[in-house]
Amino acid sequence: MTLAGWSLSQLGLLFGVGAGAITLLYLLRMRRRKVVVPFAALWERVTRDSESRKIWRRLRRLLSWLVQLILLALVVAAIGDPRTNAWVRDPVTVAIVVDASASMAGVSDAATEETPLRRIDRAKQRAMDQVRGLGPSDRAVVIVAAEEVSVASPLSNDPSALLAGIETIEPSHGEADLGRALTLAGHAVRDNPGAQILVLTDGALDVAGAQALRDCIDSPVQCQVDMHTGPAGNVAITAFAARRYPEARDKLEVLAEVQNLGDVAASVTLDVLADGVSVGRRPITLAPGQTRREVLTDLDAARSRFEARLSAEDPAALGPDFDDVAFAVVPPLSPLRVALISDGTNLFLDAALLNLGDHVRLDAAEGTEPDLADYDLVFFDLGNNPLPETLPATNLAVFDPWRFEDSPFPIAKGRDVARPFLTEQARKHPLLQHVVFKDVNIGRGTTFALEPGDDALVRSLGDPIVVMREAEHITLGVGFDPRQSDLPMRIAFPLFVDNLVRYVERRTPGFVASAPLGLSQALGLADLGLSPDGITRVEVTGPDGHAQARPVERGRFRMRALTPGVHTIAALDGLAAGAQVEVAVNQANPDASELHSMLDAMELPDEASADAAPEPAPLTEGPLWTALMLAAAALIAFEWATYHRRVTV
Amino acid sequence: MGIRERLFGAAKAPAPASDDLFDEAFLARLELLQVIARRLFRGRQRAERKTRKVGSGIEFADHRPYSPGDDIRNLDWTVYVRLGRTLIRLFEEDEDLPIRIVVDVSDSMCLRGGAKLRYAQQVGAALAYVGLANLDRVGLTCMSQDTHVTLPAIRGKGRIFRVFDFLRSAQTGGATDIRAGCSRVAAQSNQPGLTIVLSDFYDLEGAFEGLNMLRFRKHEPVAIQIIDPAEADPTGSGLRGDVRLLDCEGETERDVTLSPRALTAYAEAHERFCAQLQSSCRTRGIGYMRANIDVPFDDLVLRLFRQGGIVR
Repeated sequence: MTLAGWSLSQLGLLFGVGAGAITLLYLLRMRRRKVVVPFAALWERVTRDSESRKIWRRLRRLLSWLVQLILLALVVAAIGDPRTNAWVRDPVTVAIVVDASASMAGVSDAATEETPLRRIDRAKQRAMDQVRGLGPSDRAVVIVAAEEVSVASPLSNDPSALLAGIETIEPSHGEADLGRALTLAGHAVRDNPGAQILVLTDGALDVAGAQALRDCIDSPVQCQVDMHTGPAGNVAITAFAARRYPEARDKLEVLAEVQNLGDVAASVTLDVLADGVSVGRRPITLAPGQTRREVLTDLDAARSRFEARLSAEDPAALGPDFDDVAFAVVPPLSPLRVALISDGTNLFLDAALLNLGDHVRLDAAEGTEPDLADYDLVFFDLGNNPLPETLPATNLAVFDPWRFEDSPFPIAKGRDVARPFLTEQARKHPLLQHVVFKDVNIGRGTTFALEPGDDALVRSLGDPIVVMREAEHITLGVGFDPRQSDLPMRIAFPLFVDNLVRYVERRTPGFVASAPLGLSQALGLADLGLSPDGITRVEVTGPDGHAQARPVERGRFRMRALTPGVHTIAALDGLAAGAQVEVAVNQANPDASELHSMLDAMELPDEASADAAPEPAPLTEGPLWTALMLAAAALIAFEWATYHRRVTV
Repeated sequence: MGIRERLFGAAKAPAPASDDLFDEAFLARLELLQVIARRLFRGRQRAERKTRKVGSGIEFADHRPYSPGDDIRNLDWTVYVRLGRTLIRLFEEDEDLPIRIVVDVSDSMCLRGGAKLRYAQQVGAALAYVGLANLDRVGLTCMSQDTHVTLPAIRGKGRIFRVFDFLRSAQTGGATDIRAGCSRVAAQSNQPGLTIVLSDFYDLEGAFEGLNMLRFRKHEPVAIQIIDPAEADPTGSGLRGDVRLLDCEGETERDVTLSPRALTAYAEAHERFCAQLQSSCRTRGIGYMRANIDVPFDDLVLRLFRQGGIVR
């Protein structure tokens, strides 16, 4: 305790003078006011009963004198302006970084059955203790390290604001971005007196976070870590996806990957729900560190939303529940639009396309139609007719594109070949699956000049005669006219056409297993089953109802989801304005589900371990003299209410 | 009560100024009082009251044996003829009523500006005027422990100004001593009569004894207790706190803490004291009346006459 106001000797002198004055006034006050009465004998008879209370009256007067002295002592002490040692030490500016990663939702070591404390609760309590221990010249900032770094309370010396900010901290669903949080903390306290960084974490960090913490400790700014660990047992769903069968698009299969991240074996049950209906239940026993993949096959494609959940007889084996659930959405199946531009003489091609099934919609079109780009695949089989001047920007399959020299076909011409022999073919290419071009007789043909990235599916004596360029769209060139060969007579021809259509079909629309939580990822609207035509903005609505508009560039938009679950993507403009599709977002990150502390292996220096929280200052709202004056006022009120309440006139 | 008086207590007040004690208004009220009193006692011959004293009256009272020197005109010849004895007829003597008005001039009567003393003087003067107007002999005495002055009995309405002068000039002050005062009044009176004592009777021991002594000396005492309501019931005075009570008639001091409860207790004790005095008086056949100084003096005098407690 230090006196910031008058010195002790001055205060003693003041108290002595004041006490003397009070005593003198009390002695004077004891001279009673005289009242002349006409009948003193009767007064004496009346007041005789109160004689017994004379001693108490004297004692009460003595007590009142003592109360006045205490009042004087309080006032004198207030003038001295006493300060606790916490108030007179050098000011401190501390950045409290609270790890709000998903692992902080885990049970704390201090938890009991009655009070199941989470690690984040312990960290928040420690942060509050730190704030309560701030002196009047100290300041603090509270930074939350989640997938996104945020400031719970800006740099302030107002404990109420800081405590309110700490109260709002809750664990996120992903890994903490500790690097950015520590960088922000360093910038916040830099150039401030007594700069400190206090990291409250459970140590379950990813590599980047651990490295950031190491860098912080090695930095000039004092950086200390306070650990709040707990049991590390956790079984998590680390992957969950659903897809259509490539060959049977009306059927689905679901994959779930479950990993035991704890130190003991665990028995859990995996439930898979499709649109709320259970479609599979698998009991799983996992050794420590073991990963198990479970696949549910031949599920009805009518179900589009899948959910996987883990349960166990011992809930402690599951650890925190943020990674015990995962979601998957299968995009709706839209029919593949195929356009055939032909002179009508190749009936074999017509027959091959007509046999493809219901999910392919075939249209005959003219080569100059402007909306050819809307088709998923366009066949050009014009025979003796030239190609149109411009080809549509979509997947193309062109037969004999270089019959005429001024062809717009993007793959350059090699040379003309009379009676080419098909000598080599890429057997493993999906387009040539079950297809054999050997011994096909061809009247004439044209080879191609390949560019890097082009695939030569079939060669004629080393020269590519069937090639495919795969960029944004597929461009397939067949360097001969089927009419001038016996290929249409072979079984390979419809298989080749079918392989091509299925290849395009698998490519557009593709399927998205799920979006990872916390990462910014580019998603194609077409991949989600939404036609991107004219769409410039979409609205992403999370499972918590939070909506956010995102721009769309070339049919793709970036999405960074912070809440696991099924998000809704709604087109705000374009041809498909108002249309909605869904995409699943899963935590599915073993690093985030890892509850073991990495700091034990880092061998942090002793000075990096945080000390106990400072003792709370007696008062944080103002100096101590205000409390003394309040006490004096309370004492005056008490004395008035008990002794001086009588109205003396 | 002024602020100074509330702060420092009521000091002993000097005797009320005499100039305005019996002013023109007072005299006018006396005249009115006399007319009313005459109407009340119409038909009665004042100053012709029969007394037990055998004298020259016309109403036969008794016989006694003749003694030499007796007026033979009073010899009862009828008895002599019948019985042969010489008896003298005695008659009740008619004489006027001696009225003695005793005014307490002690310090307790002089408090609060002497309101009680002023009131007692006005009542005494009024009674004297009515008595003089009815041909009674009226004497006055002002008494306290230190003062005892007497105006000998006078007769005649025109002597009322001597009464005024006497009351004006009488010395005031001293302790209340009803017993001693009444003893001296009884001792000085050659002829017992109606004795009206105007006092606050703030004498715990001697108040009733003094009155009783008058009765013992064949007087017909009447006690008129002058009461100041503010003194009798101090609950509305605003007095609170630790005070030192000084007796206005002595050196007695008493430290008390005045609270509403203490003030109420005093008012109740005062009422009990008055009631006890009244009870004692009535038990002994002594007239008693409580006179509140808030009541006009002439109303009080008329009430006295109406009740018939003073004049028989």
